[in-house]
Amino acid sequence: MSVLKGKKKSNIVKDWREQPKSIEKFQFVHHFLPHPEEKRRATLLSNRAIIVYCVAMLLIAGIFRFLPKIVPGVLGYASDIAVKDLLTYTNVKRKEAGLSELRLNSALTSAAHQKADDMFKDQYWAHISPDGTEPWDFILGQNYDYIYAGENLAKNFNNSKDVVEAWMKSPSHKENLLSSNYDEIGFAVVNGVMEGYETTLVVQMFGRPRNAAQVASVYEEQTVLEKESAATAAVSEREKEPAVEGAPGTTEEPVYTPTIPEKPAIDVTMATKTVSAVFGGFVGTLLALDVWYSKRKGIHKFTGHTVAHLGILILVVASIWFVLTPGIVL
Amino acid sequence: MKDKSDTHLVEYAVLATLAVIISLLFYYFRYDHGVLIFLSGVSSFAYIVWGVLHHALEGRLTKFIAAEYVVFGTLVFFLLYTVLNF
Repeated sequence: MSVLKGKKKSNIVKDWREQPKSIEKFQFVHHFLPHPEEKRRATLLSNRAIIVYCVAMLLIAGIFRFLPKIVPGVLGYASDIAVKDLLTYTNVKRKEAGLSELRLNSALTSAAHQKADDMFKDQYWAHISPDGTEPWDFILGQNYDYIYAGENLAKNFNNSKDVVEAWMKSPSHKENLLSSNYDEIGFAVVNGVMEGYETTLVVQMFGRPRNAAQVASVYEEQTVLEKESAATAAVSEREKEPAVEGAPGTTEEPVYTPTIPEKPAIDVTMATKTVSAVFGGFVGTLLALDVWYSKRKGIHKFTGHTVAHLGILILVVASIWFVLTPGIVL
Repeated sequence: MKDKSDTHLVEYAVLATLAVIISLLFYYFRYDHGVLIFLSGVSSFAYIVWGVLHHALEGRLTKFIAAEYVVFGTLVFFLLYTVLNF
């Protein structure tokens, strides 16, 4: 039943007619606050408004999906992955499982780099390339004669720890990581554009050489790590300086592909998380306002449970922000 | 005779338990986006079912309230899907 009755109601109507701006203000406020007379939620919390938010999110997701096809490299995944960290985390997991540590091998490292470069060049994300090249072809191409060999792949990750954790969560990758059949390992962390997105590919190659005496020494491992650091530093310096044409006739020792973290113009992970947090936060704030204002004004609405909606939204936004991480393993 | 507030409490406890289970599953499968998209769909559907059943048991289920749970469930799914799709 309406509270606006008799004389009181006619006075309010008269006041509103004299001051039309107050009506506009009254109507505007109820975009955000529940309506005491109509006993309904704020207009921006109506079923129609929620449908509009869903459609808007779908459109934004569509833009993020198609933008890289029109403007490649603008959207991407920012990363801070380093070979040294990947090696450390891998060996920590092996030690925890009671296994021996793996040594970083230069041939496996070169094979991993070749594989990553090949994936960027031919734009594929698979263990076997479109022309049928298998991981073993890259390893054998480095004259690494093996008894056992394996490969793990990862892309779009933010940091080294997440890469190793994701491999550990997948049974087939975990099997490689914790296999007693391997003595050596090689990593490649390569930045490039894949399907229009600026991203970082991680290739992990395992092996046991046919000749046990060929297992990499601590010295060789250190050399590979230093080479990686030198390549990273060289690329950092080159990026700071303007590009200079190489002098004809000069031969440079080939260096590994850059592994420095590159930042895309728009980090797709942060962008999608922000979109979800903005929509979720906006609806959540309106629901919180609804609870507070309805209690204060004693408004009893015939709707679903606002507190339940609010609780679920808080949980979802918290999950998006703190639990969800980018990255795919193969 | 059971108090109405007791029934209310049980229904909210069911929702809270569902939320905890789904949160734990989300954390466990945090690196598997395929499973997470599936879990998002399941959790949205579970929330819609909970809302409809809860209001039906209270005897105040209307088309409008059912539609409200459907749109909120859909919103929850899209909030998660927008992030998991990339």
